[in-house]
Amino acid sequence: MSEVLLKTDKLCKTFSNGGLQQHVLKNIDLQLYRGDFTVIMGASGAGKSTLLYALSGMDTPSIGSITFGDAVISDLSQDGLAVFRRDHCGFVFQQIYLIDGMSVMDNVLSAGLLVNKDKKDKKAVVSRAKELFAAVDISEETQNKFPAQISGGEAQRVGIVRALINNPEILFADEPTGALNSQTGLDVLDTLTKFNEQGQSVVMVTHDMRSARRGNRILYLKDGVILGECDLGKYVHGDESRHEKLSDFLTEMGW
Amino acid sequence: MRKAKGQTAAIVVLILIAALMLNLWLMLSMDYKANFDRYHDKFNDGHFTLTIDDRDGAVGEFLDKTFAGDKRISQYSLVSCLHMTTLIQYNGEEFNTWCVYLPKQTALSCKVGRSEIVEDSAYTSGIYLPMLYKSGDVSVGKTVEVSIGSNKLNYTVCGFLNSTMLGSHNCGLAEIIFTEDKYAELEQSGYAVKSTLCSVRIKDKSINLNFEAEIKSKVSRQFPNLNMVSNCYDIVTQSRYIAQMICSGIMSAMAFFVLLIALVVIASNIINYIQVNIKNLGALKAVGYTSRQLICSLLIQFLGVTLLAAVIGVGLSYCVFPAINSMMISQTGIPYSMRFLPLPLLITLLILCGAVALAVWLSSRRIKKIEPIVALRSGITTHNFKRNHVPLEKTKAPLNLALALKTTLSGVKHNITVCITMLVLSLVLVFSGLMTKNVIMDMTPFINLIVGETAESCISVDIEKESEFLQNMNADGRVEKIYLYHTINVTHVGGAELMATLCDDFSVVNNQTVVYKGRYPKYDNEIAIGAKYAKQKGFEIGNEIEITANGNTEKYLISGFTQISNFLGRDCLMTRQGYQRLGTLSYTNYYINLSKGTDIDAFNAEKKDLFDGYVNTVINIQTTVESASAVYVSLMTIIVIAVLVLSAIIIAFVLFLLVRTMLNNKMRDYGILKSLGFTTRQLILQTALSFMPSIILSTVVGLVVCCLIINPLMSLFLGSIGIVKCTFSLPIGFIASTGIGLIVLSFGLACLLSLRIKKIAPRSLLVGE
Repeated sequence: MSEVLLKTDKLCKTFSNGGLQQHVLKNIDLQLYRGDFTVIMGASGAGKSTLLYALSGMDTPSIGSITFGDAVISDLSQDGLAVFRRDHCGFVFQQIYLIDGMSVMDNVLSAGLLVNKDKKDKKAVVSRAKELFAAVDISEETQNKFPAQISGGEAQRVGIVRALINNPEILFADEPTGALNSQTGLDVLDTLTKFNEQGQSVVMVTHDMRSARRGNRILYLKDGVILGECDLGKYVHGDESRHEKLSDFLTEMGW
Repeated sequence: MRKAKGQTAAIVVLILIAALMLNLWLMLSMDYKANFDRYHDKFNDGHFTLTIDDRDGAVGEFLDKTFAGDKRISQYSLVSCLHMTTLIQYNGEEFNTWCVYLPKQTALSCKVGRSEIVEDSAYTSGIYLPMLYKSGDVSVGKTVEVSIGSNKLNYTVCGFLNSTMLGSHNCGLAEIIFTEDKYAELEQSGYAVKSTLCSVRIKDKSINLNFEAEIKSKVSRQFPNLNMVSNCYDIVTQSRYIAQMICSGIMSAMAFFVLLIALVVIASNIINYIQVNIKNLGALKAVGYTSRQLICSLLIQFLGVTLLAAVIGVGLSYCVFPAINSMMISQTGIPYSMRFLPLPLLITLLILCGAVALAVWLSSRRIKKIEPIVALRSGITTHNFKRNHVPLEKTKAPLNLALALKTTLSGVKHNITVCITMLVLSLVLVFSGLMTKNVIMDMTPFINLIVGETAESCISVDIEKESEFLQNMNADGRVEKIYLYHTINVTHVGGAELMATLCDDFSVVNNQTVVYKGRYPKYDNEIAIGAKYAKQKGFEIGNEIEITANGNTEKYLISGFTQISNFLGRDCLMTRQGYQRLGTLSYTNYYINLSKGTDIDAFNAEKKDLFDGYVNTVINIQTTVESASAVYVSLMTIIVIAVLVLSAIIIAFVLFLLVRTMLNNKMRDYGILKSLGFTTRQLILQTALSFMPSIILSTVVGLVVCCLIINPLMSLFLGSIGIVKCTFSLPIGFIASTGIGLIVLSFGLACLLSLRIKKIAPRSLLVGE
């Protein structure tokens, strides 16, 4: 059995909108394991992103707890959550969210140097950034450009580098291919798969089957509840049976 | 603007402050001095007033003859009265001035230059003092000690009077009204000298200075040894309104500074608005709105806010004015009733609306360049991609500082706004420092510049006893230094009357800064003249001028230029030998420096007793200067406190605007940084730090530049009263510490205003839920 990285206990999230209570997540008990590529699927409005943001400490649950290792992160203050995020998590957003005023390299280093403050560490961070850039095929020239000067696919790969710069224990990805075209989306998925194969734990939200089949564990969320779960096993390129299995699972879930 | 309530409120406050100060300035400068003219006309007062010893009425007859045929004169009056140097309580101290004593009925019914009782009582025996002297210690019913010559007398204060030409010691000649019984008593006592008070109204008041010089010259030729004191319209108006001039000058400067900051803020706001809303503007253009319409909509918004703020500001100025009025009255001594003044309101609105319209138009012109398709496609472009400032890979700065510097270097508009604000505030700080050191803490430099020479005591002794007097003084251990410092009027041939200061040797005078260019006169054919007058007449050092007095005319070589405000720059310095070419002195004024701890009044009284009958006047210069300067010290203290508080308010509002704008623009960036793990504290620090380079740089540069230019600026400011070159020393420590204080305050405020970052949640990046 794999090591449990993060678990939730009766996790609920309620939003109040004009006096109306909207229960987005309802009593979710979930465990995430080290090395897994977990995919959270569901229809629009099912609460996928809300669950992702709660798991990653971007948001706090209304009721219930989230435990990372021995630490209950749901009890942390906003600044405590910020420290948790920078020390243990990486994020890849659908809208990419690079900072316009910083070069590609600076976008990555602003995250890397936040954790590694010493001079020695700085060299290591720069070196790791360059390694990651090389791994995702971002040239040195592109590293010095600004986000508005690069393509969407490049920008998302920069986003992945930024997310991985601190060797996070979990990489969270919220619809990472949602804003990309077919080919660049595929490149991004390949990148995520490659890092997962190297041992990186990934939790990804998607409603795209092509993206979802990269995961080894599929969770299906409906109306704030995990309706079902499917074990696809490790991803193997060109394995069509994964697609059929996933398709059957999703049909069963009412996709 | 509806969406940016905070920013709008800050702009409203800045314009409100500007309107308040502009209206106060206009009220002070337009109506306050006009108030003097209203009273001057009401009292049918003269443009030239003279009081002269006239024991037998001969002077009166001479003056009557002189005026009768003069077509320049519209009206004159000659009144018999008493006069003498008078020591009187003022601001808790004793003040020495030349006073005319008039019986009540005469004073109130003079054909030219009557007085008015502004506060009366049931007391029927006593005196009426100019309202300038009204204070806690001097009020109706109280008994005051008045020294007439060397005789101390006690009188009940029956009330207070208002007189335009004789209502203040600042006029050089003041008036005290006596009830008939007390006047008769004084007349019989012989303590005061019988004299004639002449008041002359001239048809063209612009010639009043020359007219005064001419008449005095005629009189002194006819009666060379009589005591004669005079004033004229120009001197009186200017000397009674110095505080008003200083106050309104500072007010106008501050008003325009605040307005400048408001305009920079508005321009910055509009440029930012265009950047943020470029897509909306593009869309509006796409549906048919013209650039002119879009600019007009901005103009209407900002002009609406300006009008509203200006009207409130003007309204507030009427609430503040009574306090300023009472402060001013303590210096001018002329009552002023506040009333609504439409013209200052109109000018204030015009200035503010005009300036705001110009700022809006200039900054919104870029709307014309927006092409709908480009705007809709590209939207906001917040970075120019020319340069990656402070690359994190190479910089040695800590991460937070490096990110702050990135923000600083990419925010040119913010930096310009901050720089202009801090430069203006630096000037305010340096001015405050200058005033604190040279007026509030130690007034000597200010007095040296405005008054000229000071010592502890001044004794006026008849010429026949001069040698004996000097022997006695030199033998007195308390006397550290004694030197001739005598003032007398002379006339420049073809020019104006000049107040001549005579000295045996100018190298011994205490204030060696009076001659600021050239040198003091050494020989009997040399003269140093007022720089303002020299400039008017086009004189250079080395030129020769003709001076006349006592019917004699002599040529003198200009050895230097002086600058003191006495007689509005119409002054000159001569050696005694130099003056003696024109005439002799009947008495001499000696300035005396006494050893520390000497009781000046006791010393003066002792010498007066010793040379009884030969000492005309004794003056405690120290108390005279202290009481006269108390008004300026309190005025300056209030001004310095006000400008410092105002500076803090301005920096608070400007930072509020900038921080708000930055937070609005960078909301997304802050969300991203928070999601990466930056804490609220780190982001607040980054935001505050991003303002610091421009704040520190502009404050330091501003302080240094202002320290260099403040004296020339002060010279410009005081130019109208004859000051050409100010050499005030600057309290570098005070200025440096207030500069540091301003920087620390700015940092604190920026941190405080950035607390809103706490509310930015990374969850806001969530889309689609």
